[in-house]
Amino acid sequence: MKVRRVLSHRVVAVGLVFALAACGGSSGGGDSTDSVATEAPAGGTDATEAPAVTEAPTTEPSSGAGVLNVPDDYPTIQDAVDAAVEGDLILVAPGVYNEAVQVETPNIVIRGLDRNETILDGNFELDNGILVAGAGGVAIENLTARNYTKNGFYWTGVTGYRGSYLTALRNGDYGVYAFDSVGGVIEYSYAAGSPDAGFYIGQCYPCDALIRNVISEYNGLGYSGTNSGGNLLIIDSIFRFNRAGVVPNSGSYELCYPERESTIVGNLVYSNNQPDTPAIDVAILAMGNGILSAGGVKNVIERNRVWDHDKTGIGLVPFLEETPNDDMPTEDEWSMSCDEQKNVMPVVPEGALLWDSMYNEVRDNVLEDNRSGDIAVASAGTEISTLGNCFSGNTFTLAAPAALEDVASCDAAIDTAGDWTTGALDVVTWLVEAETRPPSVPYQDAVYPDAGPQENMPEAATAPAVPAGATPPAVDLASIVVPDKID
Amino acid sequence: MSDHRRVRATLVMAATALLVAVSCAPDAPDAMRPASDVDADVEVAVTTTIATVPPNGDSVTIQVLDNSFRPAEWTVEAGTEVVFENRGRNDHNILPPSVENDDGLSSFLGDGSDPTRWGVASSEFTPGDSYRVVLGAPGVYDFYCSIHGSSSGGMIGSITVE
Repeated sequence: MKVRRVLSHRVVAVGLVFALAACGGSSGGGDSTDSVATEAPAGGTDATEAPAVTEAPTTEPSSGAGVLNVPDDYPTIQDAVDAAVEGDLILVAPGVYNEAVQVETPNIVIRGLDRNETILDGNFELDNGILVAGAGGVAIENLTARNYTKNGFYWTGVTGYRGSYLTALRNGDYGVYAFDSVGGVIEYSYAAGSPDAGFYIGQCYPCDALIRNVISEYNGLGYSGTNSGGNLLIIDSIFRFNRAGVVPNSGSYELCYPERESTIVGNLVYSNNQPDTPAIDVAILAMGNGILSAGGVKNVIERNRVWDHDKTGIGLVPFLEETPNDDMPTEDEWSMSCDEQKNVMPVVPEGALLWDSMYNEVRDNVLEDNRSGDIAVASAGTEISTLGNCFSGNTFTLAAPAALEDVASCDAAIDTAGDWTTGALDVVTWLVEAETRPPSVPYQDAVYPDAGPQENMPEAATAPAVPAGATPPAVDLASIVVPDKID
Repeated sequence: MSDHRRVRATLVMAATALLVAVSCAPDAPDAMRPASDVDADVEVAVTTTIATVPPNGDSVTIQVLDNSFRPAEWTVEAGTEVVFENRGRNDHNILPPSVENDDGLSSFLGDGSDPTRWGVASSEFTPGDSYRVVLGAPGVYDFYCSIHGSSSGGMIGSITVE
């Protein structure tokens, strides 16, 4: 049994009656609770503000799943995880757990009985709240992770993952983080206070992943996805009050470049100009943008409502990588799967790489008050009329260049001879501006509004264990409409 | 794709040094010493030599990215110097599977007198840093980053020394 990275353990005595008592082959006698503490949950805006999507996970419940109660059966979450076998449910009572939990057993479910009161706390010393490494099918539900030096909830190298009803607060890298993993769902969750992204899916192609009904605010980036895509849907969510909102991006500092084929539909993206968040350098560089493709290709950005940004509402811009680790893939290599690309030895190029945003489709979004352009495309040396991006059916007042929807319609051939210069966006100046933007606030010290209690998972005490499936549920994208504006 | 990018990750380095025929596990080398040369491009944090044979003059580089080792698996001849370069944007560590984290590495390495013990802590392996180890003893050397994986999944790698 692991004893790693447990600083201390404080648990609230539980008044709940558990309906599920059978522990199958994996129940056992853990030590009793060793101390008690209660802390008021941080919270805030209820994630139910997000437009509703109601599909349930498609995986059937495991038969005969054991229930491992923390702390009644096991004093720590890690103890329960180490004792669990596939199909088990680890049910965690309200309390503050100073643990960095590591999961290596596949197809288990870790669930808090109360999302706002079952709290993993890293005390700014532990690295990850829950790290799932190489174990597919692990679902994490109804928990809060805060004050970790790295990530709140983290899956890496897995097939099948799910995070539902999670709250990630003030973590030093990402809030909810899926890396090098495929077949995932992140839903009904809230993230605030991370210098990188509140929500992240990266290094996967095809990702087969779904982010839905999440709220991300007061982070460096609301969403970041480096070198991810391929059936990757980001829908029905809210990204606001970050330095920048939704930022798919490419770069050779992670594998499986470029970022491609992400679908961003039906989101509310607004007021991502927040100057007092923790922020990594690229978040400072991207500050003031709503949806910003930074070197992404073949993304679909559709039916979002985007407003109040100092820079662009929806911007397609390049990412300048000054010290790349490999040559840039050619277009015929974009179809290479992530697994294939990992086996290609790199050729480190001389000088920098410019990852242009190419072949993106921007349709039917509603935009207003984005001061450098509601819709925009730019490069830093490449002729932008050759990049293949298109814009149609958007509601906007300012485009950069001004004739963008006329010369780059999605429903006609790109007019390379049209006016691509009047009102064009100069992104090179962003590099200069970034030098004088408000610096990052240490994530430990950042002050942001308490969002209040978050919606709990229904029937957390009694719902059966449903490990994550290898594919996310089907989504009827066509039924998603532009969400109404909220204050 | 150009041919020069089609080289597969598992390579066998040509031997240039006389191999000393010593049958031993990778955790039973008999000497540790610093490598003599330093790449001017990167800051060398730590150098370890695990040797039953002297350095053979060959050197291979493993890119340490966010959050992967590239290549993740490699086969080299005994005496080859392996250079880990942190080319990502984040701190990483490189630990043997038996070590749980940076704190554990410190205890594991002790005063440095045991030549079988190698690895580098994240505080010494920030972006731009390198870590060099000369692997002189045949065997399989597994390693991982505890920040971004476990000993069995996530950011893991392995070097086979022949």
